[in-house]
This record gives sequence, structure tokens and C-alpha cells, in this order.
Amino acid sequence: MRPIIILTLVGLLSASLLAVVDDLTREPIAQAKAEMKRKAIEEIFPFNIDSLKTVKTDSTTFYEALDKELNVKGIAAEAWTTLGYSGRIEILLGVSPEHRIFDYKVVSHLETPGLGDKIDKPKFKAQFKDRTLGDTNWKVKKDGGDIDELTAATISSRAISDAVVRGLEFINAQYPKTTEE
Amino acid sequence: MNEAVNILTRGFVRENPVTKMLLGLCPVLAVTTSAYNGLGMGLATTFVLLGSNVVISLAAKAIPNTVRIPSFILVIATFVTIVDLLIKAYSPELNQALGIFIPLIVVNCMILGRAEAFASRSGVWYSVIDAIGMGLGFTFALLLLSVFREVLGSGTIFNIPLVGEDASTMLVFALPPGAFAGLGLIIAGLNALEKKKGNK
Repeated sequence: MRPIIILTLVGLLSASLLAVVDDLTREPIAQAKAEMKRKAIEEIFPFNIDSLKTVKTDSTTFYEALDKELNVKGIAAEAWTTLGYSGRIEILLGVSPEHRIFDYKVVSHLETPGLGDKIDKPKFKAQFKDRTLGDTNWKVKKDGGDIDELTAATISSRAISDAVVRGLEFINAQYPKTTEE
Repeated sequence: MNEAVNILTRGFVRENPVTKMLLGLCPVLAVTTSAYNGLGMGLATTFVLLGSNVVISLAAKAIPNTVRIPSFILVIATFVTIVDLLIKAYSPELNQALGIFIPLIVVNCMILGRAEAFASRSGVWYSVIDAIGMGLGFTFALLLLSVFREVLGSGTIFNIPLVGEDASTMLVFALPPGAFAGLGLIIAGLNALEKKKGNK
């Protein structure tokens, strides 16, 4: 009988301690998560954001970067691909109101360290700047497209291109262009 | 006092959990891709070890033998979950880098090993010293391996580039095989050092 009581006691004590810690950290964890997202969004826009508006739709989540007069200065969208070398890659794609790419940021990936993870390096990302859905052949150069693939990480490069295209399509669907360029 | 110094220092080299006892190798091999990760993992493990050693040394006498191991694991799991929550709350970057390996500290056999072999038979004071010694020894070994792997594999140290972005690095050290090779080399090096010292 004694072992049962003792083990139950240990379990009860552990559970109560964890309940307290969970209660204390719930708020900071939610805050940290929001802050990480905010930081990622700030990183992809080349200007300071005065306020952010989050738009959730069935397909994905959009973030509108607004200036003081509440004009949209940029749109960010969550996008992803399942074509990664070892699983899903999630990115945050930022574009101008004319749907020109500012930058993207890889939010999570499982690519090979040292090879595929270069998809999040500025050098690779630079080539996406100012591109639009229409003006680019979104295949990698090896497949006859415009995107310079990473050496030894063609699959990761194709995957990013796929994620970017998906993001651009989301944005096109949600924010149809009103003015002709 | 001599006993305390002895307990503190033996975790560092003589009975280093990684290079001598080869305990808890899963996190050692998996997270040492960068110095920052290695240090974070080492410190998180040290905290868990400290917590579990203190509680277990205090409670060991009250725990019947039949439920000893489950009780120890419960205590360890509790501290691991606390660390996990704290890291999530106050260092989201580290959480992203270490991910699943924080919860996996539960099964780090070094911690259960110290609980079984030391804390359950010793006083609180010595158990604290043991946890600090072993924890720092573990951290030290992780740091050594992760610096080695980060410098050779990625050409950076604590994410600060040592070479240009285009330089070709010894990629194998950033990948799992490099972890085994690196650990082997470090153990061999330390053993050689010790042998040399012993022969004097």
C-alpha cells in the first residue's frame, strides 16, 4: 500500500507545481510568440511599421503593414510548401501594395544544415526582391526558369520558389490589383 | 571540504558524463550544430540536474524501493517541463533551435544516473555540488563539441562568421556523421592528454 500512496503523492506534487508554472508562463509564452512574429514581419519590410492589421482567411493569414494615415504600405502573407527536402517549409512573404516582393523569411524548415538552410540567407533571398508573379518564370535555372538555385540544394530552392508563388497567389486572390502597372 | 572539491571537479574531467561515462549522448550528438545551441542545451540540462538532485536527495528515504525509478522519472519530468516552459517564455529563439530536444532531457540517462548513483544516497549539500560539477562538465563537453562542429562545419562561432559566406566549409561536421566523428576525436584527444599527464 505504501508505494502506491507515495507515488500518488509524488505525482500530485509534480502536477500542482506544473500547474503553477504553466499559469505563470502562459502569458509570457503568448507574448514571446507574438513578438517573434512581429519581429519577422518587421524584418521583411524595408520600412518602419506604424501598425499591423491581421487578416485571417480560410486559406492563410495576412498582415497589412499600415502607416500613420492607415494606408497599406505592404502586405505579408503566411505561405508554405511541402516540396522541401525533408518536409514542410513555412515562410512569411512580404510584398508592396503593387505586389512586388520585398523579402521573405523562413519561419520553419527541416532542410539540411549547411546546404538547404541557405534558403534563409540574404544572398539567396536577394534575387527574389522586386519580382512579381507575372514577370518571372518561377522555375529554377536548372529547369529553365529564372531562379538561381543553390549549389547542392536544388530541391530546397525549388521548394522556396513554390512557397513564394503560393504566397503571391494568396495575396493576388485576397488583394486584387486595382491599378494597372 | 576536500570531499566537496573532489565531487565538484570530478564531473569535469575525471568522470565527465560525456567524454568519460558516455551518458546522455542523444542530445550531445543532436544539438551540437552550433555553439549557441550546445551552451543552451548544457545549461538547461544543468538546471534539470540541479533540481532533480536536490529533490531526490531530500525525498529518497521516503520513497520505497519498488516505486523508486518511476518517482525519480516523475521528478525529472517535472523539472524538464518547467525548463521547457521557461525557455518558451523567455528565450523563444533558443526554443526554436532546440525544439524537441528540451522535452527529451527527460530521457537523458545522465540525470537518472546521477539520481540513482549519487543523489539518492547522499545529502542535499553534496548532491547540489554533484549536480553543478556534472552539469558544468556536460555543458563543457557540449560546448567543446559544438564549437568544433560549428567552426569546421559552418565557418561561424556563436553565429559570428569567421569566413566569407561563399567559403566552402567541412560540411560533414554540420551533419550527423560529423557529430560522431567530432565526439570520437574529442574523447581521443582528452584521453591522450590524460595519458601524457599520467606518465609524467
